[in-house]
Amino acid sequence: MLEAKGLMVFYENMLALNNIDIKCEAGQIVGVFGANSAGKSTLMYTLSGIMQDIKKKEEMSGGERITVMGEVKYQNETITDLKPSQRARKGIVLCPERRRIFSESSVLENLKIGAYLATRSQAKYTLEYVFKLFPALEKLKKRIGGFLSGGEQQMLAIGRALMAQPKVLLLDEPLLGLSPLMQATLILATREIRDEMNISIIITEQYARPVMPIVDYAFILENGSAVMEGTKEELMDNRDIRAAYFGVEESYT
Amino acid sequence: MEILIYGTINSVALALYALGFAMVYGVSRLPNFAHGALYVLSGFITWSFLNSLGLNYLISILLAMLATGLIGALIYQFVLIRVRGMEISEIMASYAIGLAILEGLRWGGFKGMTYTLPAFISGSTEIAGIPVDYQRLLVVGIGIAVVGLLWLFTRYTRIGLALRGMAQDERAAMMLGIDSDLMAVTAMGFGSMLAALAAVLLLPLGNIVVESGYNILILAIAVCIVGGLGSWMGAVLAAFLIGFAQILTVVYLGSHFQMVVALAAIILTLIIKPSGLFGRQKELEERV
Repeated sequence: MLEAKGLMVFYENMLALNNIDIKCEAGQIVGVFGANSAGKSTLMYTLSGIMQDIKKKEEMSGGERITVMGEVKYQNETITDLKPSQRARKGIVLCPERRRIFSESSVLENLKIGAYLATRSQAKYTLEYVFKLFPALEKLKKRIGGFLSGGEQQMLAIGRALMAQPKVLLLDEPLLGLSPLMQATLILATREIRDEMNISIIITEQYARPVMPIVDYAFILENGSAVMEGTKEELMDNRDIRAAYFGVEESYT
Repeated sequence: MEILIYGTINSVALALYALGFAMVYGVSRLPNFAHGALYVLSGFITWSFLNSLGLNYLISILLAMLATGLIGALIYQFVLIRVRGMEISEIMASYAIGLAILEGLRWGGFKGMTYTLPAFISGSTEIAGIPVDYQRLLVVGIGIAVVGLLWLFTRYTRIGLALRGMAQDERAAMMLGIDSDLMAVTAMGFGSMLAALAAVLLLPLGNIVVESGYNILILAIAVCIVGGLGSWMGAVLAAFLIGFAQILTVVYLGSHFQMVVALAAIILTLIIKPSGLFGRQKELEERV
C-alpha cells in the first residue's frame, strides 16, 4: 500500500536515512524501532511529505541543505514530489512526535480542525468513533488543548489524525513519556483502529516491547540504516535484538 | 460622556483598521505592510465605481471590497509567496508594494482634498446630549457585527477552523491535509477585504487622501503589537485601550498627540511586555 524504495535523506553531509526500503501492506501494522537519532522521525516526515516543507523552509532561510533521494509509492503511484496536504488527501496522515495539538483550541475544536478533509457525515461518524475509542476525551471536550496531560494530548492527537480520514496512519512515537498504563491503552486503541476502521498503520518507537505484540512486521533502524527487518516472530527469536530493544538480558552460553 | 461615546467610536474604528492586519499575520506570520495602501486603494476604487462608472453606492462598495480582496490575494500569490518565511524580505516586499500603490495613486492624480465618499445615512442624533452622526453609529454597529461574524466564522466553518489551525501550528495543520499556501492566500484575501470594509465605513467621515495610508498602517501595527501579534481578540481589546487613550489625550492635551499615543503604545509594549497582551510567545510549556 505505502512503500518507500531506496530512500536516502541527507542533512548537509550527514546521512539521516541510508537506502531504506520499507513497505506497509493494506491492513498491516508495521513497527519501526530505533534509538534517538536513528532516523525514525526523518522517515515519517519523508513518508508524509512534511520533509518537503522542511526542505523548502530551510532553503528559503538559507539554513540546512536537505537532500532527499529515492521513491515513495502509494497504491502503485509515485508520490515523492507531492505536498503534505496532497498526500493527506490521498489518505496518508501523520500523527507527529510530541503530538503538536492545537494548544489554544478546545478538544472538540482540535477534532473539528482535523476534519478538514472529511465530509459532514464522515466527520460526525468519526467523531463518535473517536469518543467511543477514547471515552476520556468526551469528558474533556470543552478543555483547552494545552491544559491536557500528556496521555490525553496523545489520545487527542490520534483522534485528530483519524478525523482526517486516513487510509495509512503514521504514528511517530505515540508512547513517548507516558505511563505504562496509558501506553497499554494506546496500544490497544491502535490495534482497534486497524481492526475496526481498516486503517494500515506505521508506528515508530524507541522501546519495542510494548508495541511488539500488535505489529505484523517490523524494521530496526540504526544510524539511518535498516539493520534488521522481519515478522514479529523472526525478530523475537534474535538474541541481540531481544537484548537491545526488548530489555531482555540473557547470558550467552 | 463625550469621552465614552467618542472613545468607543474611535476604538471600533481602530479595531476595523487592525483586524485585517491581525488576520493575515495570525494565519501566515506575514506582516502585511501593504495594509494601509490597500485601505486607501479600496477607497479610491469605490470612488471610481461611484463617480466614473456611476454605479449604485452599495454595489460600488461590494465590488470594491471584492476587488481589494482579489488584489490582496494576487499580491500574495505572485509576490509574497516567494519571500515567505524570510521576515525582513516579507516586510520589505510588502512595504514596497504598499509604497508603489500609494505613490502610484498620487502619481495617477488622486491627490488633494477633493475625493470624498458620501455617508450612507446623513444627519445626526443626540445621545445623552452629545451630537453623534449616523455614520459613526453605523461604524460602531457594523464593527461589532464584523467582530461577531469573524468569531463565528473561525469557530463554525471548515475554512475558518482550518485558518485557526494554521495560525496555531502550521505544520500540524499540513499533516491534516490543510494546504498552507491556499490558506495564506485566503487569509490575505479576507484581510484585504477587511481593510476595504474599514475604508468604506470610515472614509465618509473625512477625505480620501493618500497620506492616510501610512497612518492607518501605523495604527494597525500599534493595535496588533499591543494586543499581541497574531491574536485577534487581543487586537480588539488593544483597539479599545489605544482608542480611549487617544480620545483622552485629545480632550486633555490636544488633537495632534493622537499619533504619539499610538507610537508610544508600540514602544511601551515592546519595552514592558514584548509579546503583547495576548501574544503567542508565552505559549504553554510543552508537556512531555
